[in-house]
Amino acid sequence: MKPDEFEQKISRQPLRQVPPEWREEILSAARVAQTTPHESRVTQHAWLSPINSQLATLFWPHPKAWAGLAAVWICIGVLNFYTRDTSPRLAEKSLPPSPEVIVELKKQQRMFAELVGSHETVDADRPKVFSPRPRSGRTEILVG
Amino acid sequence: MKMPACLDIERLYDEHAQPLFALLLNLTRNEADTRDLIQEVFIKIARDENLLKGVREERAFLIRLAHNAAIDLMRRRGTRERTKDNFAEIISPFATSVDPDEVTFRQQLAAALAELPPEQRAVAHLKLWAGLTFEEIATALEIPPNTAASRYRYALDKLRDRLRPIYEEIK
Repeated sequence: MKPDEFEQKISRQPLRQVPPEWREEILSAARVAQTTPHESRVTQHAWLSPINSQLATLFWPHPKAWAGLAAVWICIGVLNFYTRDTSPRLAEKSLPPSPEVIVELKKQQRMFAELVGSHETVDADRPKVFSPRPRSGRTEILVG
Repeated sequence: MKMPACLDIERLYDEHAQPLFALLLNLTRNEADTRDLIQEVFIKIARDENLLKGVREERAFLIRLAHNAAIDLMRRRGTRERTKDNFAEIISPFATSVDPDEVTFRQQLAAALAELPPEQRAVAHLKLWAGLTFEEIATALEIPPNTAASRYRYALDKLRDRLRPIYEEIK
């Protein structure tokens, strides 16, 4: 890409120079860092630093409030643990119904159906057999 | 045994401190932050002698360290402070001049650069004032070369629009 006049004009603008007194300050700080062991080098992992900085940004403004909230959640967790229901559940206790019970239930179902007056429900569990009527029979019904 | 490494740090400083200073000042617009960031970069290199091992492009590598440090700093500062900074006096990354037209142009250029998003500003700076190619910018900023080229185009268009009146006037 060939730079145009405007591009050339702005790229020619001279930049400020680094203050000369910084050289010694920065290099002496670098030398100190070079001679002193870096404590966090062993304990910190590079991939954790972005997470750390994000967490620090989130928690730093109100550390006491966040600590209080964490303490409340811990209390809730502890209370929940100690007051949990230790008795075995009803579902675990109950056994599958015996065949006698099933027969009795079916009897009751039939009785109920008779009382209500519907005869279909009595044989509800029995598969219906489809027996088509002759077409001529249908016409007789219509005419009659 | 530390002596050669110390000398190496000095060489690195002498060769690369100026472009790092210009980039960081353009990004942060704050001299104290710029100084802290340059120091952070050189301390990082001093602490880990292996950091530069196998690095082919020292300049690009140092620019990457400096750029990442600047982005981290800006993220730490957050939106509130950045907004506050918008109202503060714009610190120019350009040298002063005796020519009043040039002074005005540089002030307006500094202001226009400050309005660019940091990612466009970094690319524009590296292309215009560090003289890097798009491939070198891509390596330094860890972005694809096409992204570097498009960011530069957007940045240049914005600068052109913003500076058209003064540019036409002094041309």
